[in-house]
Amino acid sequence: MAQDIIDGINPTRMELLNLKKRTKLAEKGYTLLKEKRSALIKEFFDILDRVKGVREEAYSKLNEAIIALTSAQIVMGDMAVRKASLAVKESIDVDIASRSIMGVSVPIVNINMDEKSLIDRGYGFNDTSIQLDEAAKKFEESIKLVIELAEIEKTIYLLADEIEATKRRVNALEHIMIPKFKNTVKFIDMRLQDLERENFVRLKKIQSTVEDKEEENSDEMEIAV
Amino acid sequence: MSSVGIIGNMDIVSGFRLGGVKEGVAVANKDEAIVAFDKFLDDELSVIIITQKIANEIRSHINKKLGSQVLPMVIEIPDKDSKSEESSDQLAELIKRVTGVEMVK
Repeated sequence: MAQDIIDGINPTRMELLNLKKRTKLAEKGYTLLKEKRSALIKEFFDILDRVKGVREEAYSKLNEAIIALTSAQIVMGDMAVRKASLAVKESIDVDIASRSIMGVSVPIVNINMDEKSLIDRGYGFNDTSIQLDEAAKKFEESIKLVIELAEIEKTIYLLADEIEATKRRVNALEHIMIPKFKNTVKFIDMRLQDLERENFVRLKKIQSTVEDKEEENSDEMEIAV
Repeated sequence: MSSVGIIGNMDIVSGFRLGGVKEGVAVANKDEAIVAFDKFLDDELSVIIITQKIANEIRSHINKKLGSQVLPMVIEIPDKDSKSEESSDQLAELIKRVTGVEMVK
């Protein structure tokens, strides 16, 4: 790897200048991407702290809700609970906006859920019990939390994807592109120096030949004189 | 507009219906779950709630369909009788994958 250079490059001054420019750009990009990676990882950890609390809360609420539902089923019977549940009016409306974390757009969920009184729920009171009301209330609460959890988890996954992509880019620049550029610059530089030396030697040679000839000429002249 | 859906067993679906989620599909096996999931995708729901047991069975299908798009958000919830360890395992795996190199550093 150490001697890797760009294939098919012409060792000319023009290319050297171009390459130097590209190296500079690559290095700039590398620092920027590294900063982006750090920022993303920081965000990632911030949100990881949040997810634990929310998950536990959501799961325990859900558990409570399921227990309440079970007791409603015990009191009323499966079928009656199902029937009542079908009568419940839809009350959850989510607004999805998005915000951008370092260029990753992540969802923000706004849950519009109005507090409902017993009457608003929509099932009749005739054949339902208080356990059912309890269960419905608990489920309403847990749905809110579950949706919040969904938002956070989605954000985590999106961030994770972006971090991986950025990491790959940073590594590609650091370990492949930049060394390659530098090696090529070195190669061209040495090649140009070599050419210069060659030229220098050639000039010296010509000079000495010319001088030799001049000397011969002057010798001949002297003889002639 | 309805934007939340639930796929799960009968009880969970009833519960969420009580809580105000209208789009509930109770499924009993993998094929039904896939059909339900695809229907939700077609309906362009923004949040799809799936119980863990079902999600585990159709995980490859979910991943294939979703890719890395932002919506819908798919969230798994623990079943009545299952523990919540699994999804935190998944998360731990993800953290390891994403930050592994940096953590060692």
